[in-house]
Amino acid sequence: MLRNPEEIVADGIKEFGSEHESIMQLLTKVNEELSWIPTIAIEAIAKATGISVAEVYSVVSFYSFFSIEPRGRNIVRLCSTISCTMTGQGKILEALIDEFGIEPFETTDDGRLTIETTPCIGLCDQAPAMLVNGEPHVKLTPEKACDIVHGLE
Amino acid sequence: MEKKVLLAENQPEFGAGFELALTMSPADVVFIVRDSGIKGRGGAGFPTGIKWNLAGAASSDVKYVICNADEGEPGTFKDRVLLEKYSERLIEGMAIGGYAIGSSHGIIYLRAEYSYLIPTIEDARKNMIARGLLGKNIRGKGYDFDVEIRTGSGAYICGEETALIESLEGKSGFPRNKPPFPVNSGYLNKPTIVNNVETFCAVPHIILGGPEWYADLGIGDCSGTKLFSISGDVEKPGVYELPMGAPLKDLIDLAGAGDIQAVQVGGASGRTIPATETHRSLSFDDLPPGGSVIVFDSTVNMLEVLENFMEFFVHESCGQCVPCREGTLQLMYAVDDLISGDICSEESLSDYFRLAEAMRITSKCGLGQTAVNCFVDIINNFVDFTDECVSGKCCCERGDR
Repeated sequence: MLRNPEEIVADGIKEFGSEHESIMQLLTKVNEELSWIPTIAIEAIAKATGISVAEVYSVVSFYSFFSIEPRGRNIVRLCSTISCTMTGQGKILEALIDEFGIEPFETTDDGRLTIETTPCIGLCDQAPAMLVNGEPHVKLTPEKACDIVHGLE
Repeated sequence: MEKKVLLAENQPEFGAGFELALTMSPADVVFIVRDSGIKGRGGAGFPTGIKWNLAGAASSDVKYVICNADEGEPGTFKDRVLLEKYSERLIEGMAIGGYAIGSSHGIIYLRAEYSYLIPTIEDARKNMIARGLLGKNIRGKGYDFDVEIRTGSGAYICGEETALIESLEGKSGFPRNKPPFPVNSGYLNKPTIVNNVETFCAVPHIILGGPEWYADLGIGDCSGTKLFSISGDVEKPGVYELPMGAPLKDLIDLAGAGDIQAVQVGGASGRTIPATETHRSLSFDDLPPGGSVIVFDSTVNMLEVLENFMEFFVHESCGQCVPCREGTLQLMYAVDDLISGDICSEESLSDYFRLAEAMRITSKCGLGQTAVNCFVDIINNFVDFTDECVSGKCCCERGDR
């Protein structure tokens, strides 16, 4: 059961404090728990830290791991940088698009899955690679990548 | 030849370097680091000892030691390997840095892509605490130090030290104007040292081995050893440790590569050279030793490589200054036009080369200044304009112009 965004922020304030420098940690907490950052969370963080809603929003929009759009409860981030594209990333992306019926940065209708492409994730020695809910998966093939994503809750 | 220190099989016990440092004065620790000649292992190459000396001299009761673990340069994964295997060494190096400059607060700024390493780093921290090497009044010397881990959220620019500091302060990662430099006014406007994972990992070895030993590990004027991440068209991609100043060829031989068209050294922001230049040295005086080396064989279309990198820079430019924000976009359009055949002569690129030079001179930070390198190098070295058209779909033949 997903928690109310305001409850997550309140918890975060207890953990990280309500200083300006806590904002990244608060946003990360909400983003990790809900997969995205609803406006109500941005407002709660602004109120607690005394920073304007606009400024908190600007921070959210700056960082590519934060999202102001709802995303799936599982997030796949497929590396799109050169060592991965040289080793077959394109075919993996095609397979994921075919298999799950969504383009990069789209979410399945049932809210299960979002697929994203991302710059270098530092796994070039085991390319092609992706992060699934933050965990690394390496030496992918189209079949292996689809199996991993099928296995998600 | 590999000369291993950071990745050596037999390593000094974690904490031994810190314990030795605690028997010295903070100033002596700074002098050892300075005399070792080590330069920042993140790529910018600023002498670590000078940075520490400035931060040590800054008067403030609160100072910060920040580890830049925001390894985002395409093709670089050396810091990931250090974090996986040597997090204790990293924390030890930070503790030595804190002792040297008079700081009790360490922060590891970890890129969000490496969040899965947080438990590993936390375990290392707990081990150090259990051994009395972190916490209050360490070894009865009246010195306190601890580290906390904070994560980024997917922004390459936060590898720039002042953008990293802004991010830690809960802001967008826009690089600051310098001066003031972080050594005087960094995190929360307090004196701050920001060093790369590899730099901190080297420090305990320097304390134990002495500055002359460390300096002598390098070739010629270069000091120490350096980690390189090599990937692409090689048999054994991975992280290798070589003397600083070693020829690129030595690294390529270790990883194994037969057919070489091009080698990119220092990541997307580094230099891209043809196979005929692999005798050049990996050093701050020649090929940038930031950490990434990517080999491309003769089957690779280098314009597609360039397209990939320009897309990367367009995505990662923070947008704060015009030369970088607009320049990276224009260079990407030029590459698209080269691929589509809408640009097919060297003359039509001359304005783009002027733009690239303007970006190099006027961009606010290293991102925009170095984003042009791959554009200039790949077009100069790997695009043959003597052919009728570089794309084979020449606009002149199509009669578009």
